[in-house]
Amino acid sequence: MKTNKISIWLIVSLVAFMLAIPASSGAKVYKLGLSLAITGPTSDAGNPYAKGVEDYFRYVNDNKLLGQDTIDCTIRDDKYETSITKRNFEEYLDMGIVFYLNYSTGSTLGLKRDFEEVKMPTIPASFHAGNLEDSNYIFLPIASYSAQAIGLAEYVVNNHEGKKPKVALFVHPSAFGRGPVDDVKKSVAAGLNMEIVEVVEHGQDLDNTAMLQRFKSKGVQYVISQTVQSPVAVMLNDASRLGLVAKTFGEKGKFTFLGCHYTGGNDLIALAGDAAENFYWTTSYIITSEPGVGRDAQLALAKRYGRDDKAANSHNYANGVMVAQVAAETIKRAKARGVEITKESLYEELLAMNGINAFYPVTTVGPVTFSKDDQQGVDTLQLYVVEDGNFKSEGTPFIPEYTGKIK
Amino acid sequence: MSYFFQLVVSGIVVGSIYALSAIGFVLIYKSSRVLNLAHGQIIATGAFITYALTVMAHIPIYISFVLSMIFTFFLAMSVERIFLRRLIGEPIISVIMVTIGLMSIIDGLIYLTPFGSENFSFPPFLPEQPIIYAGVSISYTQLVGVIITFILIGVFSWFFKKSTVGISMRAVSDDQLASMSIGVSVPRVFGLAWATAGLSAAAAGSVIGNITGLNFGTLHAFGIIVFPVVILGGLDSLLGAVVAGIIMGLIQQFASGYLDGNWGLYGTANVLPYILLLVLLLFKPHGLFGTHEIERV
Repeated sequence: MKTNKISIWLIVSLVAFMLAIPASSGAKVYKLGLSLAITGPTSDAGNPYAKGVEDYFRYVNDNKLLGQDTIDCTIRDDKYETSITKRNFEEYLDMGIVFYLNYSTGSTLGLKRDFEEVKMPTIPASFHAGNLEDSNYIFLPIASYSAQAIGLAEYVVNNHEGKKPKVALFVHPSAFGRGPVDDVKKSVAAGLNMEIVEVVEHGQDLDNTAMLQRFKSKGVQYVISQTVQSPVAVMLNDASRLGLVAKTFGEKGKFTFLGCHYTGGNDLIALAGDAAENFYWTTSYIITSEPGVGRDAQLALAKRYGRDDKAANSHNYANGVMVAQVAAETIKRAKARGVEITKESLYEELLAMNGINAFYPVTTVGPVTFSKDDQQGVDTLQLYVVEDGNFKSEGTPFIPEYTGKIK
Repeated sequence: MSYFFQLVVSGIVVGSIYALSAIGFVLIYKSSRVLNLAHGQIIATGAFITYALTVMAHIPIYISFVLSMIFTFFLAMSVERIFLRRLIGEPIISVIMVTIGLMSIIDGLIYLTPFGSENFSFPPFLPEQPIIYAGVSISYTQLVGVIITFILIGVFSWFFKKSTVGISMRAVSDDQLASMSIGVSVPRVFGLAWATAGLSAAAAGSVIGNITGLNFGTLHAFGIIVFPVVILGGLDSLLGAVVAGIIMGLIQQFASGYLDGNWGLYGTANVLPYILLLVLLLFKPHGLFGTHEIERV
């Protein structure tokens, strides 16, 4: 009887030992969180973004890019409501996340203090420059909306023929849209040779005839947009109907339309059709209508995880992949240094991502660099223009000159 | 001068589409005194059905448009039958709360499909060159939108004034008990009101979708955007919806054309209609053409 008891204890001990082997071998699970609008407003951007994040982390785990360690990123829908984002974030904290991915401008501004308080390295999908004010823990993945708008304004100034170009800004009625307005104005005050004729905050407009006619009467030639695709599409359709879309850049008596990251992409072409021709768009991402390593990598990843063509070719899918790449890279680097993976160590790793330690994801037009003084990842932008229903590169990647001058 | 007339034309176009979107609210309120807060979702549903039939089932868009109206006719009728019929006689606030629930259910169902989070646009089916006369332009899409609006409003006006069913609907709206006492089937009238509202919503959704592209957020927002139009016109007046819609459209275009960007004024096109609404309601609390009810206490 006693022998039997000893045998049972031996077996139990053996099983317990075997179960403990994987843990003692050092395989760890790093918890991350992403809260974004998979439904609700802007979910047309949030949905492919979430797929990009999910696919890249699956790729990291499937290919053992972190050895035996894995990333467990919980993705939750917040319906574009800051109150839900906050709840999600608090639950992620309880789960013990070491890195956080956020989404909207509103929720990033709303939770900024929370990120500071808990010292959580955070990358949002919002490129609002205001996210970085009084914040040490928010890192923009690419150039801010301000840098994008300034970059477009510089392109106008450098390529306009004739007297000082007259520009109108067409922006979303929110912090997201208004963000770059002051910075573009500051650039003009600092010497950018153009005139801002008007700043329009759009509503749910069905017809922009009055606005476009007004622009025309004031001699506006360029319209720079910082909003989402739908209002831009309505404006382009109206301009096309009125025969006001420039066929070539800066055509006199017509408008040349330009826009920041969230105004463009394939969705704009889907919404505006032919009226999108000759629309100039800037982002830091490589797009899939341009052949190259970035395109191949993005399409291969999407294909591997069974995404449809629409998601695979979305610049917001690239956006999601890229933030996941940055998060995975920081973990990889911290691991390589042999430090424990915590939010503190990942924060330090992000701050060290510069100089020879800059990170080069294949899906962006420039390197990701972060430091104490630079919380904006890819500073480089690429201009694209719609030709025959596709965005094509226009010129080479550039860094806006006036972003440095107005600091 | 062509600038002025261009603004007039644009105002009428926008106003007509507002009116078309507002009809559904009026039809339901007129017969059942219920404000359907899920109307925007039905507008979006109608637009997506037209798109799905056109692009996925390869049915010509004109036929898809009609089929979509028929589909939403029965969809809205079923919604009334399943969710709202039991609430006849219950406090109006309960019914309105059900429409809020309905809004969430339709939202959820649409988010289960690609329409919830992707952008689409109708394939071009009208000439892309606008009609230009004396410097004033209007696109075929806009013109068709205006024509559909006025045809539907004409049909509904005739229906309410001349047809037996329409007169029964007005009777139910005035007094449910009295209507029942003379043999009018109140549940049937409610079902029909919802069904016709569904039909008009599909028309509105398809017209708006043709102009703005198909984005769920943009489409269902029209359920709220046209609210001032419904209030201004009078909740139970079809004519009111048309007049108020066109007034709103004209105010927006004139404010945008003449005020915005001048004298330091911006955004007046978005604000002025609401200011006008508030001022007008001070003097006409039932709206321009709403029924002024006098209750004996």
